[in-house]
Amino acid sequence: MPQAPLASKDGSLFRQVLKCYETKQYKKGLKAAEQILRKNPKHGETLAMKGLITNSLGRTEEAFAIAKEALRHDMKSHVCWHVYGLLYRSEKNFEESIKAYKMALRFEPESQQILRDLALLQVQMRDYPGYVESRGKILQGRPQLRQNWTGLAVAYHLAGSYAEAENVLKKYEETLKNPPSKGDIEHSEACLYRNVVIAESGDIARALEHLESIAKVSLDKISVMEYRADYLLRLDRKEEAEKAYRALLERNSEKRQYYNGLEQSIGIDPEDRKPMKAIYDEFAEKNPRSDAPRRIPLDFLEGEDFKQAADVYLQKLLKKGVPSTFANIKALYAGTAKRETILELVEGYLASMGTEEAPTNGETNGNKPKPSDFKLWTLYFLTQHYDHYRTRNTTKASEYLNRALELSPGTVELHMTQARIYKHSGDLQKAMEKMNQARELDTKDRYINTKCAKYQLRNDRNEDALKTMSLFTRFLTKRNGVKNDAHGGPLGDLLEMQCVWFITEDGESYLRQGNLGLALKRFHAMLKIFDDWTEDQFDFHSFSLRKGQIRAYVTMLRWEDTLRSHPFFVRAALGAIKVYTMLHDRPHLAHSLLSNGNGEGPDFEGMSPADRKKALKKAKREQQKAQDKAAELAAKAKEDKAKNAQVASADGEMKKEDTDPLGISLAQTKEPLEVAMKFLTPLLELSSKRVEVQCAGFDVYLRRKKWLLALKCLIAAREIEKENPVVHEQTIRFRRAVDSLAEEDVKEPSREVLTAELETILPKETDLKSYNEEFLNSHKDSPQHVRGALRARHLLSPEDANIAGELANTLSLAHLSLKEAIEGQTLLKDLKADNKDYNQKASEKFPDAAAFQTAA
Amino acid sequence: MDIRVLQPSDIPHVQLANITNLPENYFCKYYLYHALSWPQLSYVAVDLSHSSGSPGEPPKIVGYVLAKMEEEPTDGVQHGHITSLSVMRTHRRLGLAEKLMRQSQKAMVEAFGAKYVSLHVRVSNKAALHLYRDTLQFEVDKVEDKYYADGENAYSMRKDLTFLEEVESESEGEGEGKAEDVGIDGDVPKGGEKKKKKSGMKKFKLGRALGVADLQEVDGRAA
Repeated sequence: MPQAPLASKDGSLFRQVLKCYETKQYKKGLKAAEQILRKNPKHGETLAMKGLITNSLGRTEEAFAIAKEALRHDMKSHVCWHVYGLLYRSEKNFEESIKAYKMALRFEPESQQILRDLALLQVQMRDYPGYVESRGKILQGRPQLRQNWTGLAVAYHLAGSYAEAENVLKKYEETLKNPPSKGDIEHSEACLYRNVVIAESGDIARALEHLESIAKVSLDKISVMEYRADYLLRLDRKEEAEKAYRALLERNSEKRQYYNGLEQSIGIDPEDRKPMKAIYDEFAEKNPRSDAPRRIPLDFLEGEDFKQAADVYLQKLLKKGVPSTFANIKALYAGTAKRETILELVEGYLASMGTEEAPTNGETNGNKPKPSDFKLWTLYFLTQHYDHYRTRNTTKASEYLNRALELSPGTVELHMTQARIYKHSGDLQKAMEKMNQARELDTKDRYINTKCAKYQLRNDRNEDALKTMSLFTRFLTKRNGVKNDAHGGPLGDLLEMQCVWFITEDGESYLRQGNLGLALKRFHAMLKIFDDWTEDQFDFHSFSLRKGQIRAYVTMLRWEDTLRSHPFFVRAALGAIKVYTMLHDRPHLAHSLLSNGNGEGPDFEGMSPADRKKALKKAKREQQKAQDKAAELAAKAKEDKAKNAQVASADGEMKKEDTDPLGISLAQTKEPLEVAMKFLTPLLELSSKRVEVQCAGFDVYLRRKKWLLALKCLIAAREIEKENPVVHEQTIRFRRAVDSLAEEDVKEPSREVLTAELETILPKETDLKSYNEEFLNSHKDSPQHVRGALRARHLLSPEDANIAGELANTLSLAHLSLKEAIEGQTLLKDLKADNKDYNQKASEKFPDAAAFQTAA
Repeated sequence: MDIRVLQPSDIPHVQLANITNLPENYFCKYYLYHALSWPQLSYVAVDLSHSSGSPGEPPKIVGYVLAKMEEEPTDGVQHGHITSLSVMRTHRRLGLAEKLMRQSQKAMVEAFGAKYVSLHVRVSNKAALHLYRDTLQFEVDKVEDKYYADGENAYSMRKDLTFLEEVESESEGEGEGKAEDVGIDGDVPKGGEKKKKKSGMKKFKLGRALGVADLQEVDGRAA
């Protein structure tokens, strides 16, 4: 039985509670609720409201207790259930929240408010059938609002029911007595949305017909033009399509997609695009400042035609003094012939210039570029050419760069490039110093500041990098005369502003240094940023229906569905998984002192048990010290925050204190592989076509003894790249693991599947050693394959592997890159093999590379 | 280099370009707010040479214009506003800023009936001022005192767009832009701006937990 209603005075007090909650006057609301409860201590709905307000004041646990008590007293109140659902929602436990809302609806099936709250969660959780149902009920309740019709149409559309979606939109249009006014963007967008639904249903002819009927009222002219051109092409109405694409190019001559459409509608053979040149010339002439019609033909022209076109293109840009000329053409470097032609042309410009005076006399001669400008950017181009990985010649690059610097010593780009050259030669310290000098030439430019911080991180100077970044973050700047560190200083600002590049590079740097705690801290920050990006869509489920920009909203939902396939996520997640597998294999690495990241610490694994104990103790002590220091800083920050309470509260967000700023507890997790799943699951779901993802999956599942799941990753990896060296090593590793499995480790029928599948990959009777040597021999020229085979060799016979000797051979390969040489060094370190000879030989090949010098 | 309208999937790289180039930064939700309120107005410049051609690979954004319509124009005149515009230093002098702005402005007029477009720029940012005034024909409307978090003043600039109303299709200007088209300007995050006007106190409303509603308008939903 529902509870008896409150007496009239208390009833009005209850309404006051509701109002206070809505207007965020929480303290006042709480007082009023308590006043009611004094007389009616068991009044469920008042208790529920008290719980809701308590939660808004940040006391979540208490709030849940009160809400549960409310339900005990009044199980049949929709208010109590609704509040219960709202609490779960604020905890982001959407499943429980949905359940509670559904209970609330049982007692109040018509409530628009509860229906709306439920619908929002359903679309957020991608429960489309449920969303259709809720949206249908909302429309029944309030059919006078256009957004409710659109809402139902969106629900149908998302659920894949195109006909129903269109029908709902059409029905609403039919209820309109007068045509909407000309500038009605909501109407315009609804019509275009309907058009997209028709097109997505596959009926292009009808989509085109509909598009023509709404073209006049549509305010988004470009969309109409783009859809039209696309439909015409798909309907094979090529002449009209050609006109449509030409019209689009009139508006925007810098969009490749339009040129593609034009080529298709003209019927250009993708294998022989030469006839297109004349058409590109036509657009180039019409649009003197356009890049695309000049640049695109360079992709398909060959031989003398290419040379001519490239000549015109390069001269135009270089004479104009465009610093990004090289960036604009470097995609052509994939082909040997083209890059040779380009070099020949640009060296020709330089040769024909001869020597001139330095530009200091400042003469200006009308529209003509100063010859020295042309020369400067030509020299710069040649510098970049010789610094490009396909055509690298550090000596020549430096020569050209020095000549450019003579002409213009103050040009920041030149100094940046010098730093880059150092970086490519492996001298990270010099690269960093040089980039800092470049930064000092233009301290107001954040781009160069960013580059400088990045180079500092690459050189593992994390604190310097943060200091550099702080020159442009907000919270070190003085405000209201108080230095405000309330948000955790510059790092807090970078986290809040979701500065993904810095967080990732910082984490990777800590991983290199063996500080796994801080590495994990940063990778988890990335995880959090992506969680936030998922959550960000929540408000738009209602916002976009009000705004009426439905097409953009649906595009956003689809993007959110695959959000974690973004390389930013993949990179951080792979880093985190690597750390967690390391922690699983060697838990002592949780103490950065023992991780031996830069090769300077003690060799923990080589110690006697007694020494290990001592070392561990010492490491723990050091860690405690670090932690105490961090806690002290945090306490001080908190104090500052209290001083600046005004500023802090204006942020509107409850900041939870970070109790583990160094990531120490993250690294000391008892179940690293379970935590790793947080990173792995989205990778396997969304980036399953990346071989490194499948390899990471294998690494985790093998260690978790999930044999079939490991097998699944292995099979997937082999499908992507059968000869991948990591996959090769994992295959052998898996064979051995499975061979040594005891009866009880894997039960039938899994065992049968495992045995049978693995048999097709690598039969049981295979002699693994010769299998591995065969792989090695057939990939002798590929350093990464050699490394994979050597890892496997070490696995098969750790004693007589001759890793160092074999690996040193790769250093003789002409195409071996510095990065690969360093990875070879890492392999030797991992396998605890002697690396003296290797480093010696590598430092001859890469004389400036710091990596081989410090270790030698 | 491609010039095309901004898609939600571009946002991570637009955000990256912004925080690489400019001191005024925003969290993802603020970009979403632009992309989902005025999806026609924001444009990106994409460097295609970085693409490896693998499917689903996000585009490399080297320049962007983040634009909006003023929700409650104080003068009652519909107009657009440039929230942020920047081009990577490595891709300057290609005229990207101008091309981005041209596309955005046309859409402001067509889709939202904008009469003019406004923006803020740091008084010390000579290069950006030059771009807006000389290349893009903006005029200084007034100086806003201490607009930026660090206390610097801003020029409030505007450009009349009524000339776009009559023109059916605009042909490209012939003038060789000698401008260093750095295109550097970023609004201070919304909220700071508003608060300041009211109280004269520099409070900064940040934090994505605020919700879109707080970013811009009163949530019409009531219990």
